Amino acid sequence: MSDKELLEELNTKVMEGRAEVSDLAITEVTLLLKLANRLKKYKRDHEAPEALRLAVLGSYSIQHFTGVLDVFLKGMGIDTVIYEGEYDGIRMDVLDRGSAFYAFKPQVVLLMMDHRDVRVRPAVLTGLSDVQTLADEFVRDLKNLWGAIKEGAPGCSIFQTNFPTPIERPLGNLEGSEAYSLRLFLSRINLMLAGDRPDGVSVIDMEYISSCIGKKAWFDYPSYFLTKAGFSPDCLPRVAAAFARSIGANRGKIYKCLVMDLDNTIWGGVVGDDGYDGIELDPHNAVGEAYRHFQKYVLELKKRGVILAVCSKNDEEVAKEPFEKNRDMILSLEDISCFIANWEDKARNIKEIARRLNIGTDSLVFVDDNPAERQIVRTYLPEVLTVELPEDPAYYATALEECDAFSWASITPEDISRVGTYAANAKREELMDSFVDYDEYLRALEMSASLGEPEGAKMKRFAQLINKSNQFNLRTVRYSEEELEAMKKAGDTLIYTELEDRFSEYGIISCIILKKQGEECFVDTWLMSCRVLKRGVEYLDLDEVVKKAKAMGCSVLVGEYIPTKKNGMVRDFFPSLGFKERSENIYELKLSDYKKMDYYIDRR
Amino acid sequence: MDTKERLQEVFRDVFDDDEIELTDETTADDIDAWDSLTHVQLIVAVEKEFSLKFSTVEVMRLKNVGEFIALIDRKLS
Repeated sequence: MSDKELLEELNTKVMEGRAEVSDLAITEVTLLLKLANRLKKYKRDHEAPEALRLAVLGSYSIQHFTGVLDVFLKGMGIDTVIYEGEYDGIRMDVLDRGSAFYAFKPQVVLLMMDHRDVRVRPAVLTGLSDVQTLADEFVRDLKNLWGAIKEGAPGCSIFQTNFPTPIERPLGNLEGSEAYSLRLFLSRINLMLAGDRPDGVSVIDMEYISSCIGKKAWFDYPSYFLTKAGFSPDCLPRVAAAFARSIGANRGKIYKCLVMDLDNTIWGGVVGDDGYDGIELDPHNAVGEAYRHFQKYVLELKKRGVILAVCSKNDEEVAKEPFEKNRDMILSLEDISCFIANWEDKARNIKEIARRLNIGTDSLVFVDDNPAERQIVRTYLPEVLTVELPEDPAYYATALEECDAFSWASITPEDISRVGTYAANAKREELMDSFVDYDEYLRALEMSASLGEPEGAKMKRFAQLINKSNQFNLRTVRYSEEELEAMKKAGDTLIYTELEDRFSEYGIISCIILKKQGEECFVDTWLMSCRVLKRGVEYLDLDEVVKKAKAMGCSVLVGEYIPTKKNGMVRDFFPSLGFKERSENIYELKLSDYKKMDYYIDRR
Repeated sequence: MDTKERLQEVFRDVFDDDEIELTDETTADDIDAWDSLTHVQLIVAVEKEFSLKFSTVEVMRLKNVGEFIALIDRKLS
């Protein structure tokens, strides 16, 4: 494909919101800059209604970066309006409440800094405690900036870069061992940023990105001297990718599940031919070690809450044998939440995995050594992130890592326990098979729930659900944690529901937000995790909603259904709860008409 | 293709505009999108096309396309 054709193809993908971040991340920067120019021109004449208000402030020039980042975001389907701060104008914008920055009302603020912002540095031979004091002062100053932004732009999310250590080491070999060296001073600051950041502030790990690329390629002095570029233009794609993933996660676009092929992907050879003990997994052999290295990486992903699934062309019994009998396996069957091995095509099987796990196919990452299988999945399920695995299994973990697929806004205890919940699902299904009557089954589940107003860790999970749920979600309006706190302060009613049954604790599985509008109580948000469908949670919740609406002094509940590609399952939600249609997709329920529905959940 | 023609291709490519016609006298004022930022983009693209590297001094001294061509030819010879 010629450069011109590639440009046109990418441009189409970006404009249609289906350009994968990891594809753009390996695209030539010159091409991306062209895409950026086109997008800029396009935006001059086209206004997007629900565009994300994004402010980029930098102590170096940011225009190139902003343009490229916008291409990434557009490619993810996120429209933006962008405010670009003046060169080195962070303080000017942030500390002046009358600035154009605040008038812009940003929802997301990026603070792009580097070591040149750290102006007060320890002198040679400064003692450790004085070094710490200087670091404290610098971090305190940054926190003041964050505080000012949050006051002037309530509810916004802040992304702060940390500080790559430069190539030059005036102290030579001692830069690594003397606490007063710039290198260790910056490392100290980086560590402090990570440990002690307030809610709503996320760190973009530029130190990691720059070391990964290599500092010699990162620091580009001619570009800095000519145009005050903070890093080499060649690094723009990688940096934009990191920001795009984090902003995407902040807006609910995340990958949740890794779907793995088996033969020649997590072990060497073909289990059907070589047998469970003949496949390559021997830790004393380089090839075996390479596959074990990949499995170890995958296991770490599972430990942080990524759901694992298997999709293999095999007989199921044969495919499971290594998990059960080969002692060199790192992954066990309990680690796999959904195991599909048959001879059907993989696109169909991957769809089935998404269905069984109750998640969208656009939250799946797929690894397979076979390029033909990858092509099929890329063609039929373009929304799945299909990883381009290299020939050499030694690089599988690196290839998956470089996709940077599992960038989440946060990790909550629910994420970790959810992985176990899927295994419990199998047991629950067994129980269901033993009942003929569904109500009887629900009673046997011994469900109990607690409801309340979210705060602290619960607020984190509440925000996470609001930004993740797609299917059982009436209006699919996304709010950041800060926006939710602001709504709470403004008097809106936020209700979470926590559920457990005899097999698992689910944690928070439902979020509701009610807004008083005179006599009417408007259901701004109602969503539920798909792991607890058909358990009667919505009936329990409606009870609470009616109670709260009465307490707010309202007489009518008003609900709206905003159709999306994914929330067809709740099209008739309000009518099913006894609401009457008022106009298209708007429903109402007079509180005096409310009739309690049957459910089998105890309130704790 | 001589240096001017190759350079013209790079210009058309970087500015995404097939109608650019370069002369020795062409300067940044003649091309709308040619600002300090696209200038770096241009330098990077020219460096790639001709497989050479410019120094900061060289980049700063360029006044027009004619000088650009002369510089490239000098570095290639």
